Parts: sequence; structure tokens; C-alpha cells
Amino acid sequence: MSLNQVWEAASASPYTPLIAKDSQFSVGFALLLLALILTGLFGLSGIDRSFLSIATFGVPASLAFGFGAVYMICAVGVYV
Amino acid sequence: MRPFAVVSALCGLVLSSSSIVSAEPTAAPLSANFKPHQVFKNVNLVRNTNLEKGYARETINVVVENVDKQPQSEYYLSFPSELFDRIGGLEVRNKKEAEKGRFDVEAVEIDSSSDVRYFVAHLPEPLAPSSQITLGISYSLLNSLHPRPAAIEQSDRQFLTYSFSAYVPSAYQTVTQKTKLKFPSHNVPDYTTTDLKTGEDPERQGSTYTYGPYNTGKVAPGTSYPITVRYEFTKPVITASLLERDLEVSHWGGNLATEERYWLRNNGSTLLNHFSRVDWTVANYQQSPSSAIRELKYPLKPGSVDPYFIDDIGNVSTSRYRPSKGNREANLDFKPRYPVFGGWNYSFRLGWNNDLASFLRRSVSGADSYVLKVPFLEGPKMPEGVQYEKVVVRVVLPEGARNVQYETVAGPSSNGLPSADQFAVEFSSHKTFMDTLGRTTLTLSVESLTDEARDSQLVVTYDYTLFDALRKPITITLGLFSVFAAIWVIGNIDVSIKKR
Repeated sequence: MSLNQVWEAASASPYTPLIAKDSQFSVGFALLLLALILTGLFGLSGIDRSFLSIATFGVPASLAFGFGAVYMICAVGVYV
Repeated sequence: MRPFAVVSALCGLVLSSSSIVSAEPTAAPLSANFKPHQVFKNVNLVRNTNLEKGYARETINVVVENVDKQPQSEYYLSFPSELFDRIGGLEVRNKKEAEKGRFDVEAVEIDSSSDVRYFVAHLPEPLAPSSQITLGISYSLLNSLHPRPAAIEQSDRQFLTYSFSAYVPSAYQTVTQKTKLKFPSHNVPDYTTTDLKTGEDPERQGSTYTYGPYNTGKVAPGTSYPITVRYEFTKPVITASLLERDLEVSHWGGNLATEERYWLRNNGSTLLNHFSRVDWTVANYQQSPSSAIRELKYPLKPGSVDPYFIDDIGNVSTSRYRPSKGNREANLDFKPRYPVFGGWNYSFRLGWNNDLASFLRRSVSGADSYVLKVPFLEGPKMPEGVQYEKVVVRVVLPEGARNVQYETVAGPSSNGLPSADQFAVEFSSHKTFMDTLGRTTLTLSVESLTDEARDSQLVVTYDYTLFDALRKPITITLGLFSVFAAIWVIGNIDVSIKKR
């Protein structure tokens, strides 16, 4: 099977990204803002913070920053 | 471990895809006196030479008969060695069954001191003794047109010369042959006349000149009879000494980014005097034909957005972009920073974005398998044509893509590309923003192309899992998380001075 036939066979399933190009900025911005707020709350949770503050603020803030950064860099035209 | 896995997968690919990429010929070069066996005879040969563009495009239709006692399947094409490296997009087909696709053609390794060099075309089915086949052979000859006079005034007309042999170079005996030349205009001030046949030679009809038909049954193969024609071509001879084309696939962004870097040259007549801005403005105002590159027109695929046109200095503002409406092509018309006269150079880069959905599909064979179909070459669409001495196409796939396979699409008619063994292939890794491993990169380089290869297609398949896709955000997540964890650990260190 030639590769062109593979292409023709796949005509029903074009690739669609999870987040469309138009909403990359809003999604990226919202996630980065969320990361900022959660980081702030983590900072406010006292110097001798418990492991709970890492779980409730640190982990979601890191995840929001990870995905938010990827969408924001796409939104500004550097498609990674 | 992972990088090694990627490398070994790529190596495995290169070895396993020998049906797509022919193996390098390993045999020692043939000696300079090599002559193919006279197993074929060209019963009738018609060569059409098209000189309407800035390069010569030749189409040879030849009826070939097997004169041997055995079935034969290797037809040799001979070319003078000075032409050999400038042959672009060589293709051989069965003229009667063109839709069955092109024959495998490979260059014959021969001692470099030989005057004649060969390609060998492998017929898919051996030709039985004394039966016939009609071959359609087409190719372009780059840098085959020379301006005479070599230097002209800025607003003068430009003339090009083209030299060839009245007897078509062939490895085999040819019984009858003729050559039809198609000129861009009626203005052909000089051409060689011959006495090879009775009556007028060439016969002229409008802008078409016909040399022959000649009865060459007694002429030894390889005999040449030089012919030179000189004709008006007041257009630029646009030559790209190098075109680098990057296609960057982004799954996260849903984007296909294209960037092209051109090193352009005009091979027309050079200027006799200094460039005159006044004459140039007058010529522009009158829209008179010129041997300079004034403007290039570049049709882009529907849906192309964010075009840019920059050179070494920065943004070039003399460009106009008309986006596509509906399914129509978009148009990028751009003027170089200065008119490019004969012998002048101009290098620049162009780029734009497209939605990935029209170029990438999920393959039905596997959940994590993708198939990408992109134009191999686009380039400006000019009536005078564009010749590319070297084209390097780089397909940058997402980070972690493996099992990469590729193929150029061959249709019922010529796609302007040479056969697969003329492509140099390289797999590498390209590191740019937010990359940890580097993106899998397929680089294809090919020499001597023309704008006949516009819209030729390249299909690439690759495997790409969800884990590969998540590598970027997870890396950043882990980076920030390690900061939080460090703050937590440091915050909990008891450094107070007290009794424990």
C-alpha cells in the first residue's frame, strides 16, 4: 500500500487539535492566570507549610503553568 | 536509552524502505569506453524542445524496437557529459500507458573522463524480440540558455542562444528523427540552417521551427551535428542557486508553518552601463518588458495566513497579500528590494501558516499513526519559469515522532521530480523552542529542479503517541513543581536557635 493510499484511506479523520487556533490565547491566558493565583495562595500558606498546601496549590499551579505556557507560546505564533 | 531507540528506529527505517529509496549503487564505475549493447533500435523519434521558459524543457517520444534475440528490459539514455549534471526532473514512461506510472531510472556510474554519460531506464516488463514500445522521455536542461549579447543596455531587448545537436543523442541506432523547437516569440534573428535533408531545414511555422525529419539509419549513434538558435527573450532568467524550504508541523498549535529561503540570481544579460534609476522608473511606468526581475507572483494554498517577506536588512514592504476567499488560492505578489538584473543576486525569505487539518490525518492503520501530505515544492509561478539548482526540503515533525516514512506522489502525468534515487535523505533532530529531545526532522535534497515540480506532493507517515505529545507540558510542569517542592523543603528546615 503506497503512502498516498494511506492518505486517501484516512480522508474521514482529519487531525483536529484539542484547542482550536482561535481559542489558544484565551485558554493559555486563563491557565497562566490560574497558575499565578495558585502560586500566590501557595506563597500565602505560611513559611512552615504542610504537605497539603503542595497538593492543593503547588500541583495544580504547576499543571496550569505547564499547559498554559504551551498554549500561550502557540497563541503568540511560535507553534511548538 | 530513548535517544538510542529513536536513532535505531530511524536506521531501521532507512534500511527497510529500500522500495522507496533505492540503495546506492555499489558497483565500480564503468570504464570510459562503455557502450550499451545495440539491442534496441529507435524506429521513430520526435523531440519537442520548449524554449518558452528560462530553461529548456525537452520531451522525446520514441518508438523503440528490440532487435536482439532475447527479451530486453534496460534502455540506456545517453547524454553529453557536460549536460548530464544539469538534467532536471528526468522521467520515462510508456507513452501508450502513461497512467501506469514512471519507469525506474537510475544514473549509470561511469568513469568521469567519458564524453557520454548514461541513465538506464528499467522497463517494467521485458520487451520481446522485434516488438515495439513507445517511450515518453521528458526532462529539463538547467542553465542551458546563454544570453547573446552577454551585456546589454538597461532597456534593450534580451536575446538567448540555445545549442543542441540536430541528431538527438541516443545510445542506439535511430532510423528517423526530427526536432521541434517552440520559441517564446516570432523574433528569432539567428538559427543554423542545415543540408541534412532535401528542402528547407528548418521548416518555420509561426514560433515553431522543425529540424528534420532526417533519415539517420546510416548515421552512427552518438554523432552530433551542432545547431545554435538565437531568439528574443526579454524576460528574466530566474535561477535559484539554493532553495531551503522548511515545513514545521505543530500538533499542539494545529499549525503547519512554512518558511522558504531563496538565493535568487538572474542569468540574463548583464548591464552594459551603470543602473539608471530614471530609465527604470520610465520603463516601469510604460510597463515595457524588461530583463530584470520586477515582481514575483506566488499563489499560496487556500487558508494561508500570516505571510511575511524579509531579507537580510529586514522586512520588505513592497509586497501585497490577497488572502483566499473560500477555496480559491491566496496570492502573494512581492517585489524584490531592487530590480534584479542579469548577473545580480537577491536572497530573501518567505513564510506563512496554514491550518494543520487540511494537511494531516489520523491514519486508519493505528491510533497513534499520522499521515501528512504537503506540497514538496511551491515557489513563484511566473510565465518565464524558475529553475532551482538545489532544493532542500526539511519536514520538521513533532518531538518524539518515529517510524518516519515518506514518498513523493506520482500521478498520471509528470510531477517534475526525478526518480527516488536522485534524492538525498537525512534524518536528524532539530532543537528549538520548548524542546527536550529535539524534533524528528526529515531532510530531502534534490538538485536541478524547475517550476514544473510546482505542486508535487510529499506524503510522510509517522507514529506519535499521547506520551510524546505530553512531553512539553509535563516537562514545564515538573520544572515549576520542583520549585514548589524546594520551597516546601527549605521552609520546613528548622533553623531556629532553641533547645531541642
